[in-house]
Formats: sequence, C-alpha cells, structure tokens
Amino acid sequence: MPNSDAELRRLIIDWLDDQYHFGDAEQLIRDDEQSFLETGVLTSLGFVQLVLFLEQRLAITLDRAALTRENFDGMGRVLRHLRAHLGPASA
Amino acid sequence: MNTPSIVWQPDPARAAASQLARFQQFVEARHGLRFSTWAEFHRDSVVSFRRFWSDFLEWSAVRRAGSAEPVCDGDTIERARFFPALRLSYTGTVLDGGGQPDAAVAIVECHEAETPTAALQVREVTRGELRRDVARIAQALEAQGIGPGDRVVALAAHDADTIAVALAATGLGATWSSCGPELANEAVLARFGPLEPAAFVVTGQYRSGGVRHDLLARAREVAAALPTLRLTLVTGAAADAAVTRDAAQWPHHLVALAQLMAGTEAVTRDWTLLPFNQPLFLLFSSGTTGAPKAIVHGAGGTLLEHLKEHRLHGDLGPGDRLYYQTTCGWMMWHWTLSGLATGAAIVTYDGSVATPDASALWRLAARTGVTVLGASPAFWQYTRDSAVSPRTLGTTQLRALASTGSMLDDHWYDWARREVGEIPLMSISGGTDIIGCFVLGNPTLPVYRGESQCVSLALDVRALADPAGGPDELVCGTPFPSRPLGLLHDHDGSRFHEAYFAAHPGLWTHGDFIELTARGTARILGRADAVLKVKGVRIGPAEITGIARRLPEVRDAMAVEQRHADSPGGSRIVLLVVLQDGVALDRALVHRIKRAIRDGASADHVPAVVAAIPELPTTLNGKLSERAAREALAGQVPVNRAAIRNPEVLDLIRALPEASRDHPA
Repeated sequence: MPNSDAELRRLIIDWLDDQYHFGDAEQLIRDDEQSFLETGVLTSLGFVQLVLFLEQRLAITLDRAALTRENFDGMGRVLRHLRAHLGPASA
Repeated sequence: MNTPSIVWQPDPARAAASQLARFQQFVEARHGLRFSTWAEFHRDSVVSFRRFWSDFLEWSAVRRAGSAEPVCDGDTIERARFFPALRLSYTGTVLDGGGQPDAAVAIVECHEAETPTAALQVREVTRGELRRDVARIAQALEAQGIGPGDRVVALAAHDADTIAVALAATGLGATWSSCGPELANEAVLARFGPLEPAAFVVTGQYRSGGVRHDLLARAREVAAALPTLRLTLVTGAAADAAVTRDAAQWPHHLVALAQLMAGTEAVTRDWTLLPFNQPLFLLFSSGTTGAPKAIVHGAGGTLLEHLKEHRLHGDLGPGDRLYYQTTCGWMMWHWTLSGLATGAAIVTYDGSVATPDASALWRLAARTGVTVLGASPAFWQYTRDSAVSPRTLGTTQLRALASTGSMLDDHWYDWARREVGEIPLMSISGGTDIIGCFVLGNPTLPVYRGESQCVSLALDVRALADPAGGPDELVCGTPFPSRPLGLLHDHDGSRFHEAYFAAHPGLWTHGDFIELTARGTARILGRADAVLKVKGVRIGPAEITGIARRLPEVRDAMAVEQRHADSPGGSRIVLLVVLQDGVALDRALVHRIKRAIRDGASADHVPAVVAAIPELPTTLNGKLSERAAREALAGQVPVNRAAIRNPEVLDLIRALPEASRDHPA
C-alpha cells in the first residue's frame, strides 16, 4: 500500500496519466502548489474520480464535504489531505 | 419477474388535465371512440397509425398548406413517405410556439462564470427578440446566396446564437448539421467533409472547465479542408475581434454574426412553407466500420415526432423551462430546440457541469427555473459521488427528470426520489437514427422502478425474441414520420437498407435490446450491435479502432463497451488490440494509443482499458464479433460461441485482469 509522500505522488501521477494525460502528467505538474483546476490538470469532474480512486486504492473513506479546492486543487493539497487521513508516513 | 415497486404516481387532476389526456379526448370525440386504458389508446395509435398522425397534425395546429392526404404513401417502413402533399415550416412553428407572445421568454442562455467565485452568466431572450434575430439572420444568409439545398455546418457551443442561426438556415430550406466543440478536427472533418457545405458557423470562443477556448483558431483547419464553403460565420462574444484577427488568413469570406446582421432590417418574417420531407438536419451515426454515416432527417417528420414526444409524453408547454445536458452534436440538442414549438422556454448552457463545482448544473436549474431537466446516468452518478443533494439547492420548480444515453439502473430511481424530489424520472431511449424516442415518459401513468413508463405513441415497438436465447431485440413494425429520409450519398438506398432493414426484413431494426412488460412498460438492456454508449455519448467503434490501427505497433483493434459499475454512467470502453509481432503492450504504448484517440476524436472516445490479445474474435464467416467480445467481457459465455471461429480468444478476454469488472475504473 502506498504510504510515503513519494509513493502517493507516484500513485496520483500514474492515475492522471492513465485517465487524462497519457504520459504528460509529470510535465504538467511543475510544482506542488500549482492549481490543478486552473492549469488544466484536472476538472472538477476529475476531482470526484480522483477521490473515488484514492478511496479504493488506499482503502480509506474521504468526506465528500471536504471535496473542496482547498483540499484537492494541487498535488501538495492532495498529499496534505491524504496525510491527515493516513497518519504519518511509515518508515 | 416480480412487478417492481411504483416510485411515482401522477396526480389524478394533473393527469386528467395533461395534453395527452386532452388529445385522447380529441380523438375520441372526432371518431366516436372510447379508450378505457392507455394500452387501448396506444394499440389504436399503432393499428390506425395514419389516423393517429392525421389527428395529431390537426390537434397540434401546425401552420401548414397543401393536402394532409395521403397521410402516408406506402406501407413498408423502408419506403413509406408521410404527408407528401403537405408543406410546413419547422422554423416558423418553433418560433411561433403555439402563439406565444413576443414578451414570453424563449431562451435562457447561460455561460459558465469567468472565475470560480463569479456568478453564472444568464441572459434571457424573448420570443420577440428571437423572431427578429432569426428573421434578420435569414435575410443576411439569403443575401449571401444560402437557400434550399445548401448545407450549413456548425462547430458550435450550445447557446442562443447557435440556435438562431440554425433556425434561420433551416427556415430558408437549408440543411443544418452541427458538432460540439469537444470533437477533434479530424472527427469534425470526417462528418462535414462529405456534406459539401456552403456555410460554416463557428462559436468564436467557449468556456469549459474554467478555461476559455479559442474555437475559431482551431476551426481554420476545418474551413481550409472544406473547399465548397463560401462563408464562415462567427458567433458569440468577441466574434468581431476574432474576425478582425483572422480574416486575412481565412480561405473565404469570414464574418461576425453582428456584422452580418448589421445590413439587415429589423423585420419579422412570414416563413415559407416547405415540403414536409424537406431535408432539415443531418446527424451522424458511427458504425463498426468506415466513416460516420450522415443520416438525413426531414422537417415534417422531425417536427411531428418531437411535438408528439414533448407535448403528449412530456406534457411540455407554456410555463415550462426545458434543459437537457447536451452539446449541439447530439440529437438531444435538436430535440431540445423543438421544445420551443410547444410554447416552453429552453435553457442553454455553455460550460462544464463541474465548474465551479459539482452542484453547478443543479444551481443553474434553480437559478433559471428549469422545470424539466434531462441528463445521462453519468451525470446522476457524478452528482451522487460528489455528495450533492439537489433538493437542498432550491430546485423546487423541477417537475420531471429525463434520463437517456445509457441504461438506467434501478437504484437511480431511489436516488432521484430521495435526493431530487417526488417527481417522475423518465427513462427515455431512442436515437440519432430516428431523431426521437421509442420508449419514454407518460404524464398519466406511474413510474415503476427501473422502467420506462411506456412505448411511444403510434410506434409498433416489439421485442423480437432471439432464437439463440439472448435478450430480445427492439424492432419497429409500422411506418413512422421521423424515419430518416435516407443516408447521404446513398443513391440506391442500399446502405440505408443494410443499416436498418437487412437483419429483419420488413422491420426497422434499431440495434437495442429491450424488455417489454405486460404492463406496457419497457427496459432498454443495452446495444444489440457494436455501437458504444458511454457517459451518455454515442460512439461508433470505428472512430476508435481506425485511429488505433494507424499506430505502427497495432495490427488490429476492436472497441467494446463493458458494463462497469464504478465507471461514470455504469459502463466503459475496452479496446482490445492485436499487436505486431514482437511488440509488447507496456504503459507507454497504452498512453500513445489513448493520446492518439483523444487527439483524433475526443476525450469521450478514449478507452478506459487497453488490453492485448493474440487475435480478435471472428465468426465462421470471418466477420469480427464485437457481440461475442462484449459478452465475454461481461463474464458470460457468448450466445453465439458455436459460431465463433476462435472461441479460445473469448476465454482469454474473459480472463483479462485489466478488463475485470472488479478492476478499478
């Protein structure tokens, strides 16, 4: 199960590639604070798909009320939100 | 099978006052008949379909000239022509809306907000404004030499300008064909190229997903590849500036809508009554092989069928506001447009259903007073997965939901009742081929969980049993006015025959599986042929496989729809590929295949799964069998396994881990 930030980042990049960007996701995400929505990485529709994927892959349940730009609009935000659910990364 | 529970019952008073009830009374009084049940009335409409259409024409008071006799010339569906001596105007009827006053709202035009925190942009267009605009555009198009027999094509957003130009063009007797901006240029040209169009309409800019797209810049490539074009007309905001920017490089006359209209007089127009079977719309239906076929729909057939569906089955009329989630490339756009003829207003939206958030469309419905909202199961799923509860968003004016584009599973009826309200969820289904519906709603009948309320009036819809034991196939046994006039460039009708009549001679074979109940209700069980319906979009597999086969690593390919609960709309596309010797299907190749399909067709065409198999399943006659592959992907033993030359491939398909129905979307 992916747990470290690097593993979670890879999981998300791979998903973005498989679903939307077909190998270009790494290049599209220039930094962790970049907005997914404003730079075409993900649409709001895609946020929901990402949440469903993460829930399935990480066996967690994410609160739909927390499906906000603050929590999902950017790699850093997603990782921080996941970290709050998963707890500290295991060594 | 047990009778499913009733999830909605019509209010008796409202049912008695419905247009359907009033039309039934009209028929009864006119002919001294008495129908005690819906089943009796429907049966009569099928057995006496000529009388039905004659009565409906009279009752609906469509302005017309000429003779309503013969109602139908010919007895076979394939050859019959309705009202060959009648003339009417689609545009005139739509604009008139049953005599709506100039002050009545015709279109509520919505555009996605410029920023996530800004308000939705809403503009109301009255009947009077629309009538004047359409008249002026027609006058200007006429001055440019556009007239009967010409084809006007559009790469356009779903907004009021597109509607006005479409009505003007068809009012002159030209034939209209449109694609939404989601379609890539290659796919647009595959559709428009054979049409040899005279004029091209482009929405200069459109917004989607928080991004403004310059459609005109991309349309230049399309315009350059259509040598018959004499005119490109740019609509929407900033059209003038875009024309100033691009006019010098454009291959022919480029003009903004406002410039085109500037030289016209503000007049209303007495629309010329054109032949009932005047070509009106060209729609596209992609098959398993070859380019998309262009289906020619006639003005009168389209108008009567849509009026029947809207007024009788949907009880749509003045006071209603109809919104259907569609682009102008899908027949639901044309269906919505015809809604104006009932006196209802229609709501358009240029934008994403997901911007600024998942409640966007429901808030739009609340803000604009939508009374009938239509979408696909993919949209219901998106709403549910986003934990949006529409009933909390002020959508109290909604009186009905319509769903089409994919099979509608039972649980959506519970969801709609719980999260939207005590209103009917009408599962409607038909298609581009008939520009209408075979099964749909009914304001006088209950809604049973999982079922369409009824079969369309005057259509002899039958469930044809499969001798091999598969699901029943939807066929129609009586002529109907919205049968296409034919396929474009199919001079001897052979392609038309092959597409709809060869499988079951004398019957219209639609390509859907259906279950008809003794209660007169229906369930659509998916496609009987290889056409894909995913996320509410009808997709011809040839458009996917044609692109995949162009990659040097791919020898052959087959695109198949797979039911998949976790995917938007409950199904997804699986692309089975046969690779060249020595080539392995790694992630990089999967991405190359997907990227090529996205860039050559659209994001909707991209398969969710790409899987390699040693060869494609073929019948003993050497034909590819998408049906066998689809059944294998569903975990079933294909009904026609004995007729498959290489049945071992089906076992491989069934065992593909990436195509497992449990595998994530």
